[in-house]
Amino acid sequence: MESISLSDCNLGALDSLSSDSIEEILESWSCFCSTTDAILNGNVEVDVEDEFVSYVHFLCNHGLRSLVEDQFFQSLEVTFETRGVSRFWHHFDAYINGSMLMNEASGLEEVLYKALEELSLVKRCQERTLLMLVHSLESHRDSTLDKKHTSDAERVYLLSKYKLMVSSVLMASIPRQFPAILNQYFKRRLEELSTLMDGGCQEELHDKENMDLDEKRKSFSGVGEMDIDEHHNRKKLSENSLLVKNIGKVVQDLRSFGFTSMTEDAYASAIFLLLKDKVQDLAGDDYRSSVLDSIKLWIQAVPFQFLHALLTYLGDSVCPGSPSYGLKSPLASHPSSFYPGVDTPSEGLIRWKLRLEYFAYETLQDLRIAKLFDIIVDYPDSSPAIEDLKQCLDYTGQHSKLVDSFISALKYRLLTAGASTNDILHQYVSTIKALRTIDPAGIFLEAVGEPIREYLRGRKDTIKCIVTMLTDGSGGNASSGNAGDSLLEELNRDEENQDIIDLNDDFNTDDKQAWLNAQRWEPDPVEADPLKGSMSRRKVDVLGMIVGIIGSKDQLVNEYRVMLAEKLLNKSDYDIDSEIRTLELLKIHFGESSMQKCEIMLNDLIDSKRTNSNIKKTLPKPSQAEGEARKSEFSLDALAATIISANFWPPIQDEPVNLPGSVDTLLSDYAKRFHEIKTPRKLLWKKNLGVVKLELQFEDKAVQFSVTPLLASIIMQFQDQTRWTSKDLAAAVGVPIDILNRRINFWISKGVLAESAGQDTNDHIFSLMEGADSNRTGTHGGSNDEHLMGDEEGDRSLASVEDQLLKEMTIYEKFILGMLTNFGSMALDRIHNTLKMFCVADPSYDKSLQQLQSFLAGLVSEEKLELRDGMYVLKK
Amino acid sequence: MAAMNGGYSDNTPAADPAGPPAKQNVAPAKTVDTQSVLKRLQSELMSLMMSGDPGISAFPEEDNIFNWKGTIHGSKETVFEGTEYKLSLSFPADYPFKPPKVKFETGCFHPNVDVFGNICLDILQDKWSSAYDVRTILLSIQSLLGEPNTSSPLNTQAAALWSNQEEYRKMVEKLYNKPAA
Repeated sequence: MESISLSDCNLGALDSLSSDSIEEILESWSCFCSTTDAILNGNVEVDVEDEFVSYVHFLCNHGLRSLVEDQFFQSLEVTFETRGVSRFWHHFDAYINGSMLMNEASGLEEVLYKALEELSLVKRCQERTLLMLVHSLESHRDSTLDKKHTSDAERVYLLSKYKLMVSSVLMASIPRQFPAILNQYFKRRLEELSTLMDGGCQEELHDKENMDLDEKRKSFSGVGEMDIDEHHNRKKLSENSLLVKNIGKVVQDLRSFGFTSMTEDAYASAIFLLLKDKVQDLAGDDYRSSVLDSIKLWIQAVPFQFLHALLTYLGDSVCPGSPSYGLKSPLASHPSSFYPGVDTPSEGLIRWKLRLEYFAYETLQDLRIAKLFDIIVDYPDSSPAIEDLKQCLDYTGQHSKLVDSFISALKYRLLTAGASTNDILHQYVSTIKALRTIDPAGIFLEAVGEPIREYLRGRKDTIKCIVTMLTDGSGGNASSGNAGDSLLEELNRDEENQDIIDLNDDFNTDDKQAWLNAQRWEPDPVEADPLKGSMSRRKVDVLGMIVGIIGSKDQLVNEYRVMLAEKLLNKSDYDIDSEIRTLELLKIHFGESSMQKCEIMLNDLIDSKRTNSNIKKTLPKPSQAEGEARKSEFSLDALAATIISANFWPPIQDEPVNLPGSVDTLLSDYAKRFHEIKTPRKLLWKKNLGVVKLELQFEDKAVQFSVTPLLASIIMQFQDQTRWTSKDLAAAVGVPIDILNRRINFWISKGVLAESAGQDTNDHIFSLMEGADSNRTGTHGGSNDEHLMGDEEGDRSLASVEDQLLKEMTIYEKFILGMLTNFGSMALDRIHNTLKMFCVADPSYDKSLQQLQSFLAGLVSEEKLELRDGMYVLKK
Repeated sequence: MAAMNGGYSDNTPAADPAGPPAKQNVAPAKTVDTQSVLKRLQSELMSLMMSGDPGISAFPEEDNIFNWKGTIHGSKETVFEGTEYKLSLSFPADYPFKPPKVKFETGCFHPNVDVFGNICLDILQDKWSSAYDVRTILLSIQSLLGEPNTSSPLNTQAAALWSNQEEYRKMVEKLYNKPAA
């Protein structure tokens, strides 16, 4: 190889040489090679060095300078490989082939130190020999007075070439596990540092407390205490610095072998790992306190200190007062106050700080997002966690992560058949409130809320639950729990804040934010209500979102009307204060006009109260004889009527019932008085509605009940006759037998009546229990105020909203079948338009396209219609 | 013995609704006619839809309530059994004082229906009364199918053939074009 390069490079020079001199050159070349080897192998003697210099000079004189350099480096490489590198890796054999696990490697540090030590020894030796070459080359140049090159450049060039060689040799032979080993090393060191710091911090805290106490006692001695404190700090720092120095040395060594980036990766990942652990440790499953500050403090205390010390040790931390000061972390408003012992952070340090903080925020954010569902479940208590999350998201901007993960959590955990509608609604309200903190513009809420709304729309009792939540809060109904309260609160809050919100509706800030978010965001789902303009969407209001579930406030108002009607009809006094209050609140929200009917209903009750007392006042005192006759009967005082304007009430189910004669007379008396006072108006009694308070007197006790008129009628029949067949009893009270059988269960369950089979299978015999079972009722205490409205489907006095809807839908079905008969096939929107056009009588068609579509899908599944290519046709 | 001791309270009568006036659109005098015609047609549509008479149906065209499409099925046990005929009904502006114009859209081989689908039926001409409505018109036409008036035919061939019901049935089947769905 030498000869080839010889002939290649120096052909011109060779021509001019005599064979003698060639001999001479070859001679000194081989001597040069052997001395080089000797020097590199460490058999250095004094004269060898001189010889080496002279050979170099000689060869250089013949223009073989580059050859000399190449040969020297090749020898360096070979010896470095054999003596340094292979031995270096040999140290880690145990870890590499897995015979020793890295995590239990207490000896890992020592091995690393030793290996690095040896390798740097080899390297230092070689550097010395390299310097020898450099010197000899320099001295040669000096002698030839060739001053074209500055010697420094020469030296730098050779040294860097050497460095390159070292790292390339190492890199070429690096085992796969080496980065992991480094990583492990840094991790352990950092943990050590962290515990040291933690201990220090705690001690410091402890000291501070003591100091505070001391200061209270003798404030003037504060100076001395400070000294102690500083001393303590210094001690702590010195411990740290020792540790850091060790690490710094390792880093420096590794750097010198060309492992710069690998080292940085290793300690960076170790730091991040530690940070992640720390964040998880701090954040945990406790949502009741904010952890962001303590995380920030920890970053200042441990990794940042470490990096600072490391970078200072490595000499990277430079340029105090450089413009890098402007690169402050946006989070630390007073950075300098955070670095004990550091006046000005270097640019590298700031970069590190930003990286660390971003990582910490991201980790915490991921952690919180993963648990967001649980956080929202205990929402009002977990607001610190929400606050943390908001800060993290503001910093990282990864809102979409939140949306995706939260939606999947919702689908998995909430929107299942097992969850009750009330729970879902409660969670929805909490979600709205929580996300309102994170995102005042409500754009993420829109995305997150959509699946919940979609799901709730599919539930039948959604509207009812919402209305219950809206109205029950004031009643203090414990069973409805917080959900009810919170919605009513919301109602109140809305009212109070209305003006303030309007004032605060600042275009600049809000719009900008909304615009930023909007750019980052997919467009609203198609389903988003186009009626809600950007104005109303920006103002996230819980009620609006709730109403959004249903689609239109009309349905909500309608359901409310039904519930209100039921409530009012079951009142025996005219106390409607809480209803009035709720109605006023709803009026603010939904507008006067839509609540008009409800208002009339309430007014009916107020009027009833007046009319009622009026009638009783004008009642002529019954004459003595009449009074005698009526003594056992009832007086009008026992009667209180609710007079309703039927047009404005929800449809009332009319169920005929025969009231006992005495009561009937009473009612007609009342009606007569009403007619006298309010001519030409007449009363039409709805005899099946209302509440009867009655007392049953048994031999040993009296029991009080509040029941429906039908039940009262039934039990009244037993006053004269203790045994009834169901057929006769049904005829007596004027209801069908099946209804009687169903209703009479109430008295049977109370132990007042007993049922036995009659001659006919369909005929039952009911007989009065003479006190025998009255103990059973007695255990409930003297009075039984049973309100049994709505405990059975058929017991409702009013047509429910579902029934109304069903009725409407049957009309639509007829229309749809009619139009399809005559037009053959029609597309969805044409059906929709046609219904809108022609189905105008009461109830007019007011459904959305989606509602119609689902209704048509129902008809398709009932095999009444077919859907072909988007066109509906009659199923033949 | 259990004794009743109680009072009826809060029974709920409905006041005779002499209360607030019913909400009604009092349209200006000029358009009263159109308004009432619209109302009449809408209520006829409603009653037709709700009546559910088998074999007859009609519905207004998409954007004009004055033009309806009708469908009649041939009654059972007549020669028209199993057939379905499309009709068009167009109502005059002074309906119901004038009868609507009713035509067969599907060709119908019938003594009182000409080749253009015009129908010769007394209640659609001189015997019209405002008491009739879409439903009665459709029912009349349906019964006309089975009981033609052969004394004054529009389609003499059909009238001549009527006496031979078997042949007539064959003719109906031959000429019947099932309306496109």
